[in-house]
This record gives sequence, structure tokens and C-alpha cells, in this order.
Amino acid sequence: MVMDAFLAQLWIARWPLFDGFLMTIGISVGAIVFGTILGCIVGIQLVFGSFLVKLPFRLYVDVMRGTPLLVLILAAFYIPAVMGLSLSASQAGTLALGLFAGAHIGELVRGSLQAIPPGQIEAGRAIGLRFPQILANVLLPQALRSALPPWINTGVELIKGSSLLSMIGVGELLLKTQEVIGRTFMTIEFYVFAGILYLIVNITLDVLGKSLERRLGARL
Amino acid sequence: MRATALKFAAGLGAVTLAMSMAQPAFAGKLQDVLSRGKLIVGTGSTNPPWHFRDESGELVGFDIDVAKIIAKGLFDDETKIEFVNQASDARIPNIVTDKVDITCQFVTVTAARAQQVAFTVPYYREGVSLMMPAGGKYADYAALKAAGGDVTVSVLQNVFAEGMVKAALPDAKVDQFESVDLMYQALNSGRADAAATDSSSLRYYMKQNEGRYVDSGYSWNPQTYACIVKQGDPDWLNFVNVALRESMTGTMFPTYKAAYERWFGESPSEPKIGFPAEFR
Repeated sequence: MVMDAFLAQLWIARWPLFDGFLMTIGISVGAIVFGTILGCIVGIQLVFGSFLVKLPFRLYVDVMRGTPLLVLILAAFYIPAVMGLSLSASQAGTLALGLFAGAHIGELVRGSLQAIPPGQIEAGRAIGLRFPQILANVLLPQALRSALPPWINTGVELIKGSSLLSMIGVGELLLKTQEVIGRTFMTIEFYVFAGILYLIVNITLDVLGKSLERRLGARL
Repeated sequence: MRATALKFAAGLGAVTLAMSMAQPAFAGKLQDVLSRGKLIVGTGSTNPPWHFRDESGELVGFDIDVAKIIAKGLFDDETKIEFVNQASDARIPNIVTDKVDITCQFVTVTAARAQQVAFTVPYYREGVSLMMPAGGKYADYAALKAAGGDVTVSVLQNVFAEGMVKAALPDAKVDQFESVDLMYQALNSGRADAAATDSSSLRYYMKQNEGRYVDSGYSWNPQTYACIVKQGDPDWLNFVNVALRESMTGTMFPTYKAAYERWFGESPSEPKIGFPAEFR
């Protein structure tokens, strides 16, 4: 009977919850795309940049990785506002998650670039390749492949982290769930439901990542 | 390298300049809102009967209706509002950083908060009330108090819960619950004789469940609810005050009354015709 009541409420709330789910996915995808582009630039600079170029990137990575995600989200929401630039909650949220992801992915790329034996760069030079060519044809294909497992991990972290955006009023899955609970008082049922949705997305992502790893690994 | 650094510095300078030029001349919030053509209101979405989403996903509640009264005063159109969803912690920061024109989100008036934001005139006085099953063991507050230690009161878990109940029923046993549904369940199952929570929540719950519960007739712990605006703009504050005051005492009273009846299931007292009682 309790289950029936829950299912009835779930049916009534299906569209708002679905919207929240899409918002969670959309923001996470936006953040990982932005973070990956940023992370590649950061990683390459951290390995090959001169000291002065490295410095701001190092600072960025350390600040982002040393700050709680919630603090970053609140900062992205309020600091631009103080400077007269008003970002909407979802823009600020995507920015914060993207900057957070950029730092983590930057470190991943740095690690996997440094794991490549330096002899390969020398070999590339010896056959007359210029640095951008070495990077594009020799280093990055290997580095990005070995960075794939932790990259998937960062994606999972971002999907979970996106729930913190409910704090600044982004209508993602957690906030939509809280809204339904506010109306129906079915606290435990709907939190468990939201938890299961997050779990399904993350397990799916994990399985996709594993199969991608296998396929790419086979081609090595 | 030096060239790069110079370019970087020049870029930063240009951005700063552009941003400082983008700041519009300040003509007062009232003019800003009127020329923008809509009111930006900060509020929440998870607390019935104040601000929550109904089954169709619409934002509704008493706070929402209060905001609509202000929009009606501005544009003669209560739909010209953009609601910004915010957590309770964000109420004051979002006012201070100009994210919203006004916040109507059951903000309790306190002197400490009045140092940071400007409060409008109040639109409701919240308290704590006791609700019992209709036709149950205890009929009213006097019966509960007379029963002393035999009474168990269910209450939402928080630091002040125990003291809050004891202030009204010094000998009662207090049972704290983690969520509202569990608190009401304790009452329904007979584990508790009365539930103590915000008067507005109880009134709304009783309206949803006509005839199943009774109010004890005693409320305590007064807290005043008002909207908040940014400090330093008396014209805007005055406008909002006029709009709110006239909804409780003047031409907009029918709108306020309808909202009050819809969310609290009872009617506010009618403004007395003749001498304006608020000046007494």
C-alpha cells in the first residue's frame, strides 16, 4: 500500500524528475567537455611549458584541487556578481564544475605525458618531426589512452558533484527530488529513488568506459 | 616571453575597462524594475505552504502570492515575475549581490539580519502550534497541559525542539523525528498525542486533511515574516511597503485574503473601516 502510494506520486512527478535528470546529465556533459579541453591545454603546459608559463597553470591546478567543490560553486556564483557580471545559476554551476574538472584532467594528462619514455621525443626529432607533430602523432595518442580510466572516474565524480548545484538553485535531479519531497512528504522513498538514478548513470558510464578501454587497449 | 606577459596584461586591462564601462548608471531599483518589465524575486521551492511546486510543476504558495501582489502593483500584471530559486542560506547573499530585486521566502525578521538587508513591512506572524487527531484523547491545550507527563509530543528534529515544546508543555515527553512524514505518522499511529510544528504548516496540513485533526487553540514562539530588499534604496523599499501594506489594509485586501484562505484554511481579520488601525 505504501509502495502504491509512492508509485502514484512518482507517476505524478515523472516530468519534473525527468527534467532534473536531463539537467544533471546536460550540466555534467558540458562540464566534462569544457574540462577536457581545458585539461589538455593545462596538462601539456605543465609538462612542456617554460617556468613562467607553468606557474599560472600550476597555481590554477593547485587552487582548484585544494578547494572543496561546494566552495568553488559558491565562488563561481557570487564572485562574478560582485564584479558586475551576472551569471545564471546553471551557467555558474557549469563553470565551476568545468574548472574543477579542468584541473583534475590537467593532472591526469600531465601524469600520462610524463609516463612516456623521453626517448620517443628524441626519436621523433631524429626523424625530422617538429614538436607539434610529435605531440599530435606520438605523445597524445598514447597519453590520452592511458588517461582514459581516470578520465571516466572524473566523469563519475562530476555527475555526483552536480548534485551540489542544488545549493545555488539549479533545477537538477537532487533539487527536483527535494521539491517532490516538499509536496509529498515521502522523504526516504524519493531520496532512495534519486540515489538509484545516480547509481544507474554512473554504473553505465563505468561499463562504457571499461569497454572503451578494452577496445583501445587491443589496438595498442 | 616578455611579449606574452605584456599581451596578457593588456588583455586583462581591456577586460577590466570593458567591465567597468558595462556598469549602468544607477537610477534606482524601482526605475530599473519598471524599465526591465519584470520583477526578479528570490524564493525557494521545497516548503509548502510557502513556496513549493504543485503537481503540474508550477511554483505556488503564500510567498509566491505575496510576490504576485508586488508585481501587480508594478505592472498591473501579476505574471511579470521571474522567480530565482535559492536555498535558505542564499537569501541574504543573493540580495546583497543584486541577484534578485526582492526575496520573499519566509524570512524571519531579526535585528541581526536588519544590519545586512532592509526588511519590508511584515506579511505574516509565524508561531508553533499543536495538532491532535479529531475526537482523540485530548480536546485542547488545557487538556494536554493537565495530563502533564502522560502526553507525548512529536516534533521535527532540531537543536531547539525539546526546549520549544517544554515552553508550552513543561512535563510532556518529546519525541523527535527526522522528517515531516515521520512526525505525522507518529501522530496517526498513536505513538504521539500531539504534533508540534510551525502553525502555517499545521494549518495547511489540516486543510489538506479536512476534519481529521484539530488545533489545540494555543500557539507560541512568535516570528515575524517579511520580504527583504537591498539596503540604501528608500524609494524601492517604500514602494514595496506600500504594495504590501495596502494588500493587508486597503484596495488589494481581497487578493491577500484569498491567498491567506487558500494556504492557511482560515480568513484574516477584515481591515476596520474608519480610522486606519495601523496608526493607533
